[in-house]
Parts: sequence; structure tokens; C-alpha cells
Amino acid sequence: MNDLEKLKNHFQDFKNLEFINSESIQSRIDAFQRFCQKGIPSLKQEYWKYSPLSKDLVQFQNLKFSLNQDKSFNDKYIEKFDHYKILLKDGVLISEDIKEEGLEITKYKQNYFYEIKKNQILDFNNAFFTPGFEIKVDSNSSIKKPIVIYNYFSKDFDGNNINNKNFIFLAKNSKAQIYEKNIFEDEKVLFFTKNLDIELEQDSNLVKYYFNSTNKNKTIYNFIRTKLKQNSELEKFNFSHNVSSCRDEIIADLNGTNAFVSLNNIQHLSQKCYHEIKWEINHNEENTRSSQFVKSALHDQSVAAFQGKIFVDSKAQKTDGYQLSRALLLSDQSKFLAKPELEIYADDVKCSHGSSSGSIDQESIFYLRSRGINEQQAKRMMIEGFLAEVINKIKNEDVKNIFYKKLNEINNI
Amino acid sequence: MIDIKNLKVSVEDKEIIKGLNLKINKGEVHAIMGPNGSGKSTLSYALSGKEGYEAEGQIIYKGENILDFNTEERAQKGIFLAFQYPIEIPGVFTNNFLRTSLNALRKAKGEKELNAVEFLNLVKEKSQKLKIDKEMLSRPLNVGFSGGEKKRNEILQMSLLEPNFIIMDETDSGLDIDALKVVSNGVNGMRSPDRSFLIITHYQRLLNYIKPDFVHVFSDGKIVESGDWKLALELENDGYAKFVN
Repeated sequence: MNDLEKLKNHFQDFKNLEFINSESIQSRIDAFQRFCQKGIPSLKQEYWKYSPLSKDLVQFQNLKFSLNQDKSFNDKYIEKFDHYKILLKDGVLISEDIKEEGLEITKYKQNYFYEIKKNQILDFNNAFFTPGFEIKVDSNSSIKKPIVIYNYFSKDFDGNNINNKNFIFLAKNSKAQIYEKNIFEDEKVLFFTKNLDIELEQDSNLVKYYFNSTNKNKTIYNFIRTKLKQNSELEKFNFSHNVSSCRDEIIADLNGTNAFVSLNNIQHLSQKCYHEIKWEINHNEENTRSSQFVKSALHDQSVAAFQGKIFVDSKAQKTDGYQLSRALLLSDQSKFLAKPELEIYADDVKCSHGSSSGSIDQESIFYLRSRGINEQQAKRMMIEGFLAEVINKIKNEDVKNIFYKKLNEINNI
Repeated sequence: MIDIKNLKVSVEDKEIIKGLNLKINKGEVHAIMGPNGSGKSTLSYALSGKEGYEAEGQIIYKGENILDFNTEERAQKGIFLAFQYPIEIPGVFTNNFLRTSLNALRKAKGEKELNAVEFLNLVKEKSQKLKIDKEMLSRPLNVGFSGGEKKRNEILQMSLLEPNFIIMDETDSGLDIDALKVVSNGVNGMRSPDRSFLIITHYQRLLNYIKPDFVHVFSDGKIVESGDWKLALELENDGYAKFVN
């Protein structure tokens, strides 16, 4: 991706594709120009310093875009509990629109995109995206069934790049739960970027779960921008399980009093997996609260990075910001990189941050073994127990069970 | 039951137990008393096979030398260490731990593992006898437990796992009189002709509740005096001074 001439040709071909509507074309051209000016991320840029993308993207010398016309979806991937489905197959929305119970699900319809100066991959996404979904919840509606988003990457896809844009809007005093999961059918090389904007109006409440499952040769960039108005709440639980290379980035703006955001992430990695979290929470109004909680269990040569920032504006008095990251290093070669940041301009705030990393406690292992539990199982119990502290906070029992089951899947301790 | 012959134990190249001989027959309760630093806890860890405790000599248990067996193998063969300070493990729930432990032992013995319902019935019966609130079992293992709750949890494990040889390391530390009674009653209820105990303690107090058959004075890594339970009373009155050096 560092050969700009090649990329320009690729973009020329891309923007002539049929599915690109004329309203979005100028925004795409502007975004592509911005990307060209900025170049691909490098380790020298502070914003991308800990990112696996800084190393990965040079391998994509020939981007190949493709649209899979086949809309079949294997039922075995569908969750058993009652829910609304959003199916994305190789980046194309294939499920039907939904309109009931104050809920509306359609194809992504936005045409104008913002820029974040240091973020050229967002520019790339803006230029090359395929429309994903839009979820809109009417005011005073509480959506009873959870919404499940399936990002299905099929073995029939013959490109190496997919980019999606999605949008979630909760109107005043509404409520929804969303569970999103990735399904990878093969080990082909793929660069996938996804941008999701979430807007929460006054008194609305969104809980979002995301399971990023085991994959190989996938470079993933998830970028979420969320804006919260007065009394609105967003709770997010991510489980990153053996993802080969991924950056999860969230920028949350708390723009109304009493708005609350809670971000939680499990990183359970082995082999050479590399997962990066970059969160920025902006307390822009009084009495806003935020919580960041990350737990990482790192086997083999895996690497996890966590950059969490709490920004407090001068008018955001009585802010309550909390951040904690803890990592279990399960091999001499695994790494945890942590960079907590606090930037505070108000004087009456409560902000705390903590970060620790260490190996498994041998006294605990001895205690379990002295009760007949073998060493491997004792370690597994310890790791599960360590990570389960995040899962235990989940209120939706179906999702909780899915996450618990996934915990058992790494056995090569 | 167990015959310890010329046991020497070193930790980081420092010899702490210096040639211990002790034979405990089936059904017997032995107490080892000794001052701080005499190597009592080292003995309990060495008998449980803790890593970092280099042992030589022989520990003949049920007819085989278990010196080369690791911790879980010894536990599976029926050796149980009741900890002085039971470890707190956040995230591991007590119920789940108890079931995993019980099933590991059953599996090792070639018995059928218990399903969730069978296990819950069993644990309910055992915990009621020990006046253990079932709410405690749904909490993470030993986390936030009071000193008394932790020791009661040890006794509950003992009664679930039904070991043959039980080592009790300073079980009375941190217990008030009421908790001490509950714990002692639990232990006394488990005394049987097929089960032996080694009670390691500083004070004679515990031995008022759990009456040993034999008392040994442990000093500088060896047994320096043995007798019946009256020896414990003597130690309480006179202290360890006459046995040390």
C-alpha cells in the first residue's frame, strides 16, 4: 500500500464501480486525497506507534477489491436465541431491512464523512467503503430482542480488502442491545477496515458486545466514534480471541451531563497474534463518567497493546474517569505494551488509572494442585478466572455464555 | 500409613529439615510442635511436593515412596494439606473449584465424575454440617472470606475429598474460639481408623480440642522429643527452651 501510483490506479477503477452513488463520490475523492498526502501509518507516528497495522500494510502491494454476488448464508453460524439479524457477507449487507417495534435497520446511507487528522486509515475507509448497515431506534422504544450482526468472511471471496461503514442511532429515551461477531471461513490474507458511528440521544442506553474470533492472516482495523448526550449510557464488551493482527480504536465524546461510557476488553492471544486497543474518552461536560477495563492473557509470542486516554475539558467539573489494565504474561516471549494518558483541564475531578503485568501466581497454582488438579488445568482455571472478571459484568446471559465457552478454546498452555 | 525416613529438605540450597524420621500408623493423630523457624511449614510443603523444596530420603506412603510424585499426584493418592493461609483466587468460584477438585480425584481413582446436580447435593449436605452458608460457595475462592470462613472452607474441602492422610498447618492461627470449635468438630468428625493426621502447631490450645495420640517436639529440622499428649501441656508451661540447643 505504500506505492501511491498503484493505489491511485486502484482508486480510479474502484470509483467507477456501479454500487458507488453519486452523492458520496466527492467525499470519497477528498478522503482518498487526504490519505495520499498522509501516506500509510508508520511506527514513527505516535498515533500508530504500537499498531500492528504499521508493520502489516506494506504487504498489501496489490489491493484487490471484489464484490461477492452470492447471498447464501450458512445457518450453522446463526445464534440459537431469538434475535434480529444483520448479515454482512464479505462486506455486503445481504439481510433484509427490518422495521418493527421502533427499530429500523437499513443499508448505510450517509454520504459525508469527517476527518481525523492523524488517522489516515479512516480516510482510506472513507474512500473505499462498501455500505454496511444503519440501525435506528425511535424515541421511547426499548428493543426487547438483541440485534446480532454477523460479519461473515466467506471462502469464496476473491479480493483482499473489505471496508465497511455503519451507523447506529438511538433516539431519546430508547434502549437496545447489540451483539456483533466475526466469522472467518479461511486463512486467506485480508485487510478489513470498519468504521462505526454511534450517536446516543438524551436518556438512551446501548449495550454492545463484540466477539472478534480466531483468525489467521487477517489485518483488521475497527474504528468507532461515539457521541453521547445528556444521561445517555454506552456499555461495550469486546472479546479479542486469537486475532492475528488487529487494532480496535474508539473515540467517545461525552457531550451531555451525566453521560456514561464503559469500555471493557478481553485480549486472549497466543502464537504471534497482535492486538492493539486505542481508546480516547473526552469528558466535555460536567458530571460525566467513564470506565475503561482491559484484561489480557498472553501466550507464546503474542503481543497486546493498550493505549487509553482520559481527556477532561475545563468545563467538565465533577468528572469521574477510571481506567485499569491488567495483563498475565504466560510466556517469556509475550509482551504487553501499556500507555495510559490523562489530560485534565478541570480542577474538581476524580480520575484514576492503573496498569500491571505479571506472570501467573505460583502460590495459587500450588493451592489448586494440592487439591488434585493438574498443573495445566490449574493454569487454565487461573487464566479463565482472571479474564472472567470482565465477563462477569455482562448482564445478557446468552452473550455471557458465548464468551465463557470461548474462554476454554485456547488449550496450548 | 506414612513412614518418613531420614528426610532432608533444602530450599535454595539451604538445608532446613535435617534428617527427619516419623512413622504414623493408620488412624493415629500426631502433633508436631516447635518454635518459629524450626522448619514446620517446610515439612508440610515437602510432604505435599511443593516445587522448590528439594527433598531426599524416603516418604513411604501406603507402601510406595512418593518422593518423586508431584503435588497433584500426591493429592490424588489421598494426601491433603490444610493451609495455614488459604490462598485467595479472584475469578475462580468456590463451587467450581470444589467440583473440579473432587472430579480430578475421582477420575484419578477411576470413579465416575459427578455432574452438577450430584455435586450440589453432596456439597449441600457437607456444608450444612459445617455451618457453611451456601452464599459463600458462590463467591470467588477465599476472596473476602474472614479467617474463620477460610478455615471452614479448608475443612469442607477435607470432608468432600475424604483424604487418608491430612496435614494441618497451623490451623488454629487467626481463629476465634467459636471458629476453632467448628473447625475442631469438623476434624474430630473425620477421625477414623483409616485416616491419619499430622497437626502442626505452635500452641497447645488446638490440642485441647483435637486430642493427639502422639506429640513431637520439632527443633532445627529434627524431632528432638516425642511423647503422648501430656508433652504438649509440658511445653505450654515450660516453653521450648529446654529442647532448643
